This record gives sequence, structure tokens and C-alpha cells, in this order.
Amino acid sequence: MPSAPEATPARGSAASRHAALDSLMRAAQQGDGRAYHLLLQEVATRMRRLIMARAPWLGQADIEDIVQDVLLSLHLARATWDPARPFMPWISAIARNRLTDHARRYKRKQAFDQAAADLAEVFSTTPGQSHADGVVDLMSVRSAMADLSEGERRAFELVRMKDLSPTEAAHQSNTTAGAIKVAVHRASRKLRLAINKDGEEST
Amino acid sequence: MKTDALIDSLVRDAGPVKPLQPPLRRIWGWLALALGFAGAMVWAIGPRPDLAERLFEARFVLEQGAALLTAIAAALAALALTVPDAPRFWRWVPALPAAAWLGTLGLGCLRDWAQMGPAGLRVTPDPECFVYITLIGSLPLLALVLMLRKGAPMRPSWTLALAALAAAAIGNFALRLFHMQDAALMVLVWQFGAVALITAIAGLCGRSVLRWPGMPA
Repeated sequence: MPSAPEATPARGSAASRHAALDSLMRAAQQGDGRAYHLLLQEVATRMRRLIMARAPWLGQADIEDIVQDVLLSLHLARATWDPARPFMPWISAIARNRLTDHARRYKRKQAFDQAAADLAEVFSTTPGQSHADGVVDLMSVRSAMADLSEGERRAFELVRMKDLSPTEAAHQSNTTAGAIKVAVHRASRKLRLAINKDGEEST
Repeated sequence: MKTDALIDSLVRDAGPVKPLQPPLRRIWGWLALALGFAGAMVWAIGPRPDLAERLFEARFVLEQGAALLTAIAAALAALALTVPDAPRFWRWVPALPAAAWLGTLGLGCLRDWAQMGPAGLRVTPDPECFVYITLIGSLPLLALVLMLRKGAPMRPSWTLALAALAAAAIGNFALRLFHMQDAALMVLVWQFGAVALITAIAGLCGRSVLRWPGMPA
């Protein structure tokens, strides 16, 4: 039985964290239980962060439901991972697929769809597929959120995360629907730029 | 179940797994089976008497080549779609040979019309095409579905539609080797039409046939 890789994915640069995930998955495919345990825990942590940021209205049980769904899917599909390719794009594709499926089961469908679309957008606008850390590692999204103005952040949260219409969001913010649309557009652009920049810097 | 408990049970369940070969390697076994079965069916039914003559006719060879290429491209695309990080363009790969196939039939219609006038574009019932294409495509489809179920059902409707397109195109390829029907419009309506219908039906059934085990469709 191969030994578990020495590197753990929790520390180091994004590139080394990804390399650690690659070697964990490689070892897991070869039957290394300890590596597989570490890998599943890491994926669960990242998925939990992603869902809590994207769908803050979900209860703990629902969040764990989705996390478990992704873990189970990873488990069932683990033979489809090619050890010659990076792990992150592979697990990101599975996570996006499961999120999209869950979107059908929750009332907040539109917000989930938006989360899936955001994932796809970040995924497709980064050069190559090696920046999937920007997708699942929501730390970059959170730090990018801090750079938004108060109005942009509030508009983005109300429309994109809480699924309010621009008119409803405008009513809550004492402004106009047009101003909300502009703020959401600006916030989306800034976030996309910030996430892509983060991805480029981390490789 | 708590997530930690699930992780423990998944780890207990996980032995070594052999990574799936890339689609370009997996397809050869399927192609051999599909063509072998199609060949056996042609032999059992009896090849058309003018087959040797037809094999030297450019139009027949082009149409058959496009059908076979469509089958290969569709099977490759279906296999690729069950790999989570495969590029999205795979689903469109069969469009090129399928367009070429459709194009050769379309040109054939024009030629038939130019040579025979309205008589060249007559459509008469030929429903057995659908039966033969389904029959010959059944085993290749079953084999391909079994292969696809080893992958991840990322896009089940597309995947099953492409698999059915591959199997039906093989069925049509074989049909032309024993069925004496070369009028382009008849081939277009009854044979290409049957392939398109089978593909569409399969697309609708995708989520029932290919889904994550243990999860609702």
C-alpha cells in the first residue's frame, strides 16, 4: 500500500495545496485509506465554505446534505479522475454539477443557478483550468467582497445571494432599481476581476 | 448521517480503483463489437446483390463514410461527457460528421431531382428502416450504456442522446448494406429520420438511465 503524501493541503501556496490534493487523490486511487480520508475532509471543508457563502439562508442540515452529496459523487466517480491531470478542475466540475442538481430541489433556485453560473464564469474566464481554486476556495471571494463599496456589496448580497428583485432590493436600500442594477453589475465585474487576478497570482 | 461518519464509511468502502482509460482508447473495443454485430446482422439477413457495385460508387461511399464517422464521433463524445473535467466542446464534435452526412443526403436529393424530376423525390412508406436500425443498434447501445455507467453522469441527457446517435448511425450504416433503398429523400426521411428520432427519445430518457447511483433522478 502506498504511503500517504507528506504534504497536507491546508498549508502553503495555492499551487502547493493543489499539488498536495493531486497526490492525495493519486494515493487514494491506489487504495491509501489515510490519504483518501484527508482528501474527503479537505473537500468537505471547501464545499461547506462555498455553500455557506453562496446560500447563507440554508440551514446546517441542508448544507451538510449537499456536502455529503458531493463527497458521495466524488467517491462514485473516482475512477474517472486521470492521475495525469490536476484534481481541482475535476472536483470543481463535480461540485458544480451537484450544485446545479440541488438547485432544482430548493426554492431559491435562481440563487443556486447564479452560484453555478458564477462557478462556470470564473472557471471559463481563467486561462486553462488550473484556477479552480478560485471556484471552490471561497476565501478569495470573501477577500474580494471586502474591496467592494458598501452600496455595491449590499446590492450584490440582496440581488445575487438573497435572490431579491432589483425593485425589492431598491426598496430595502432606499434607492432606485436602476442604481441597484448598476451596483450589482459593478460588483460582479470587480469580483470576477479580483478572483481571476487571484487565480493568476496563485499559479 | 453526519458528514464525518459518511467520510469514514466511504474510506472503508474504498479499495484501489483503476482509472478509466481515455475515451480514445475505450472506443476501439466498442467499435469492434458494434461493427462485428452489424456485420453479423448483414450476413444473417443477406447483403444486397449490388453491394460490390455500390462500394465503387462515390456517393454511396461518402454517405456510408459520414454515417460511420458520425457513429464514432458520437460514441467518443458520449464517453468524454462522463469524465467530469472533459472539455465541453466534446458534445459538439459529432455535429461535423453529422452535418456532412446530412449534406451528402441533401445533395443526393438535388441530384435525384435533376436526373428524374419529381419522381426522384417521391416518398413512400418504408417503416422497416426504423425497425432494422433499432434492432442493429440495440446491442451497440446496450454495450455503450454499460461503458457510460462506469463514468460520471455529468450530463445524462446529452450523453444518452449521443450514445443512441452512435448506435443508430451504426444501425443505418449496416442497413444500407442489405436494404435496396438509395433514393436520397427516402434515406433522408426514413433512415436519417429514424436515427434522429431514436436520438431524441434517448435524450428524453437520459436522466432515468444515467444517474448518480443512490440519488434521485
